[in-house]
Amino acid sequence: MKKRTMAGILAAVMALSVAGCGGNSAKETTAAGNAAAGSEAAGEVSVSGKTLKVLAPEEPGSEDALNNAIDKWAAEAGVTIDRIIISHDDQLTKFPAMAKNKDLPDLIQTTRLHQLYPEEFMDMSTVVDLSKFEESALKIVGKDYKSDKISGLPSQFTTTNFYYNADAFKAAGVEVPTVEKPWTWDELYENAAKIQASGAVKYGFAADVSRARYDILMYANGGSLVKQDGDTFKVNVNCPENVATLESFVKANADGVMPKAIWAGGSTDNPVEYFKNGDAAILLSGSWNYNSMLTDVTKFEFGVMPSPKGSVSQAAIIGGSALAIPENAKNKDVAAEFVKWFYEEENFKDYLQNDKGLSSLNTVVYEPADEKAAADFKLLQNEVGYVTDTFMVDESSAWRTYKDNEYRDYIKRAVSGELSAKDALDAFAKELSESSKWEMAQ
Amino acid sequence: MGKRRKSFSHTKSFWMFVAPALLLFFVFFILPLFLSIGFSFTNYDGWKTMEFVGLENYKKLLVSGEFYKTLARTFGYAIFSLPFKVIIPLLIAALVTSRYCKGITAIRTITYLPVLISALVVGITINWMFGQEYGLINFIIQSLGGKPMEWSLNPFLATFVISFASNWASTGFYMIMYIGGIKNISPELYEAASVDGAKSYQAFFRVTLPMLSPTIFIVLLLSTVNLLKEYALVQGITSGGPGTSTTYIVQYMFDQGFTQYRYGYASAIGVVVSLIFIVIAAIQFKMTKGGEVD
Repeated sequence: MKKRTMAGILAAVMALSVAGCGGNSAKETTAAGNAAAGSEAAGEVSVSGKTLKVLAPEEPGSEDALNNAIDKWAAEAGVTIDRIIISHDDQLTKFPAMAKNKDLPDLIQTTRLHQLYPEEFMDMSTVVDLSKFEESALKIVGKDYKSDKISGLPSQFTTTNFYYNADAFKAAGVEVPTVEKPWTWDELYENAAKIQASGAVKYGFAADVSRARYDILMYANGGSLVKQDGDTFKVNVNCPENVATLESFVKANADGVMPKAIWAGGSTDNPVEYFKNGDAAILLSGSWNYNSMLTDVTKFEFGVMPSPKGSVSQAAIIGGSALAIPENAKNKDVAAEFVKWFYEEENFKDYLQNDKGLSSLNTVVYEPADEKAAADFKLLQNEVGYVTDTFMVDESSAWRTYKDNEYRDYIKRAVSGELSAKDALDAFAKELSESSKWEMAQ
Repeated sequence: MGKRRKSFSHTKSFWMFVAPALLLFFVFFILPLFLSIGFSFTNYDGWKTMEFVGLENYKKLLVSGEFYKTLARTFGYAIFSLPFKVIIPLLIAALVTSRYCKGITAIRTITYLPVLISALVVGITINWMFGQEYGLINFIIQSLGGKPMEWSLNPFLATFVISFASNWASTGFYMIMYIGGIKNISPELYEAASVDGAKSYQAFFRVTLPMLSPTIFIVLLLSTVNLLKEYALVQGITSGGPGTSTTYIVQYMFDQGFTQYRYGYASAIGVVVSLIFIVIAAIQFKMTKGGEVD
């Protein structure tokens, strides 16, 4: 009997321990806001001998431009750098715990934290002159979703773009589209199928598994996730334009023009590798991959082509990562000093030449020595101009604070054949509406 | 008074020995368990919002079609994988404890090695083998002129791959448990069976299996709970796809809690799922009589 009781208790505790997965640590009150924000940072502060705790999303390599800029400044200013590495995804779950425990880094390289929790970050207008920034970069990467507060400053500024395999195009006799004469989305699917049929590549077209990549199809066809409705929004994700766009995308996957396993969600393969291996003729990805393409693509010539036109326009999505300073960080004054230094024209120019990316400052541009790279960068910078008003409205709604990965997962379910395009978008629209309390537009 | 002091000094060493384990058990199991039950009655978002919402999370959960679908999928996966989890290690254990078997140490080591590998590395290894585009198995099939298997597109094949990985990673652990059980069986029982003219397979079914009942019960219980809790392998191999065909209950719970910041709702899922697991464990206990040998 005793044995039975013990075994019963053992089984119950093992099973009950699963419940622990759904919970978190003990409740604590949130760190109080600090009313004296930024006032100290605005003036000259002596930082020598202090430590700057930097939170980065990945272990910086020897050529990491931001890391090198931080090191350069630290050496000049006599500051010690203490680095913590937490990936962008993990930052979202770990930052609240850091804030609770009052163990905050002084400077964070982030893509979303400052927009999710703007009240926890310094207003950057108190640190640097914002007029020198590219407006769209500041608006999309740096601004709080719900107010005009700039809670982060864009350090890396990126745009979506299309890469193409020049050898495969040539072998299939397909002409590369130009800025003056871009393809339509129908032409992209047709030409991708043509190149695939020529045998030059395994797949005609591949796209990163990201809703931010998929959405450019939606914006190009006049769709949007939400619609402005006075001071609020209406959920528009299941509008007829979006259903038609998703149906075309599902068809391209089902026909095998695209590697279906990736967007159906059963594979963790990276489509960028498909392109680099010469298995995909066209890749929808982003400017952040350009430099790795230069070093990794050795089997064929690659290039950058303009985004195709949908039924309404061309479209691009801009983004990037920002530098943000937690309001309650111990050495926020040191972080502010670095930020001031970093965005000085001369220093930012040095940084950009090392980073080899798009510029978020009006007065500075990256100037590659290589002629081809210079032409490609011109095209990449040009893509920024294709950002649609609908994207800006969607971003201003901050819909991602209510639902995020669920949207991509519903697209995956449509591609896998589990749901029809309409059912997938209807289901997501319903979820978004319930979470956000926004009415449905459809 | 003196008697009580004497009694305490008698049990003092006992409590000193168990105190570290008890403390860890309390901090890492009991405390989160009660916190989780508490959170399940709130709309806790992981940071700032935490209001008492009564049974709202449970009401939502119990009418959620997605929850039931995911639960059914989890049971399907567990039922499919359980026989392999229990039988394969038993057969290997029987093999390596047989006096006729050669290379016992090598077999044991090779079988146990995957246990030492983290779930993430198991995922990478399995992807390397079963990758649809660049996987070893499809490469071999194509080299032999066959059509590549749709490991990532066919829900059944995707489930099979996860089940294979899970079995591969755990067989060594259960094998060790079985070996311990087999070694504890009195040799006299086998001698008696031999005197009665029992053949090897008869000795296995009539002596080994019945005497291993307590071990089989533990393996059955651990395997069931571990299969129902499968998470890391799924993330590493299929991320729950294609579609949601390999999204199991813990992944669903994790997603609700850590992706959607619905800690309260995720806690309610955890509590309900725990109760279901307890019922399953109790049924197993009843059916196997707690592994008691008749």
